[in-house]
Amino acid sequence: MAAPNSAQRKACWDARDQLWQCLDDNNDKIQSCQRFQGDFEAKCPAQWVKYFSKRRDFLKYKDKMQREGFTPAEEVSVQFA
Amino acid sequence: MLRVGCILRGGGGVLLCLHRTAQYRYPSGPERVLTRSLSRTPDSSRVALKLRTRLGVTLLVGVALLGAWWWVEQERQQRRRRQRVEQLRTVALGQGTFSLLDHTGRRRTKQDFLGRWVLLYFGFTHCPDICPDELDKLSAVVSALDRDPALPRLQPLFITVDPERDDVAALARYVRDFHPRLVGLTGTPEEVRHAGRDFRVYASAGPKDEDGDYIVDHSVLLYLVSPDGLFLDYYNRTKSPEQIADSIRNHIRNHVPFGAPV
Repeated sequence: MAAPNSAQRKACWDARDQLWQCLDDNNDKIQSCQRFQGDFEAKCPAQWVKYFSKRRDFLKYKDKMQREGFTPAEEVSVQFA
Repeated sequence: MLRVGCILRGGGGVLLCLHRTAQYRYPSGPERVLTRSLSRTPDSSRVALKLRTRLGVTLLVGVALLGAWWWVEQERQQRRRRQRVEQLRTVALGQGTFSLLDHTGRRRTKQDFLGRWVLLYFGFTHCPDICPDELDKLSAVVSALDRDPALPRLQPLFITVDPERDDVAALARYVRDFHPRLVGLTGTPEEVRHAGRDFRVYASAGPKDEDGDYIVDHSVLLYLVSPDGLFLDYYNRTKSPEQIADSIRNHIRNHVPFGAPV
C-alpha cells in the first residue's frame, strides 16, 4: 500500500480539522459529528485515524491539565486511606 | 532681590533663603558695584548648568555602561556557542560513514556529501503529520539560505527509518513534494540501522494493523553536518525556520575547517 501523496495528506488533514472543529463546537459529542467522522475515516489511512484520535485525546488532556491543574498521585491515595 | 544676601551667606544655602521675600531696595552706586562683583552667575542658570552637566555626565556613563554590558554579553554568547560546538564534537555524532541508495537508485556514501553543509532529517513516508511538517520546515530553511548568494548551497537529506516500506520508488514519490535538492536515502535494514546509529536516532515500529500498516515512532530532529562531515548542531520541533536559518548562518560564518589552525 503506497504512502499517501501530498494531495491525499492534505485531504486527510482537512477532514480531521473539520471533525475536530465539529467536536469542539459540540462539546466532544461524537453523535453530532458522525458525518465528519465518516469523512475522516474515509480520507485517512486506518493507522492515521488511530494516531489522530489518540493525539486529540492527548491534546484535550494536556489542555485540561493546564487549565485545571492536577493533584499528584500521593494526595489521591491519601483520600482513600 | 534677595539673592545677594543669600550668596553672601554661602552658595549652598541658596534654596533655603529663597522663602525670605524680604523687601530689598535695588542697590545703586558703589553698593551696586560691590554686589555685582560679589554675586557670580545668577542662581537659576547656575543650577541649570549644574543640572545639564550632571545629566550629560550621567548619560555618558550610562551609555558607556550599556556598551560594556553589550560587549560582555556578546563575548558570553560567543563562548557559549564555542562550548556547545565542543560538546557536540565530544559526543561525536555522525562520525561514522554510511552507505545508502538515494531516491534515483544511485549508491551514496557519507564521502559524497563532504564539502557540503548538510541538513539531515530521519523519518518515513507513511508518517501522518510530523515528517511532512519537518520536511516543509527543512525546505523553508534551505530556501531561505538559498536566497543569500554569498552562502554555500545546503544539501538537504532525508533518511528513512522504515526501510521495509520506503524503497527507492517510494522515496522518489515522497521527496518530490519538498525542496528540489532534497535527496532521499534508503537501503537494507542493516544499512539504515547503521546510519541511524551514527546519529543516535531512536526508531521503533509500532504494531501492524490488518492492512499491514504501522507507524514508526522516532526521534524528531534536524541535524546540521559541516563540510568536514562533523555533526555541529541539531534543531527540534520548537525551532522555527528563521531560528534555524540564523543558527546555520552563524555556524557557516564561524566555521573553522577541521584540522586548520584556529
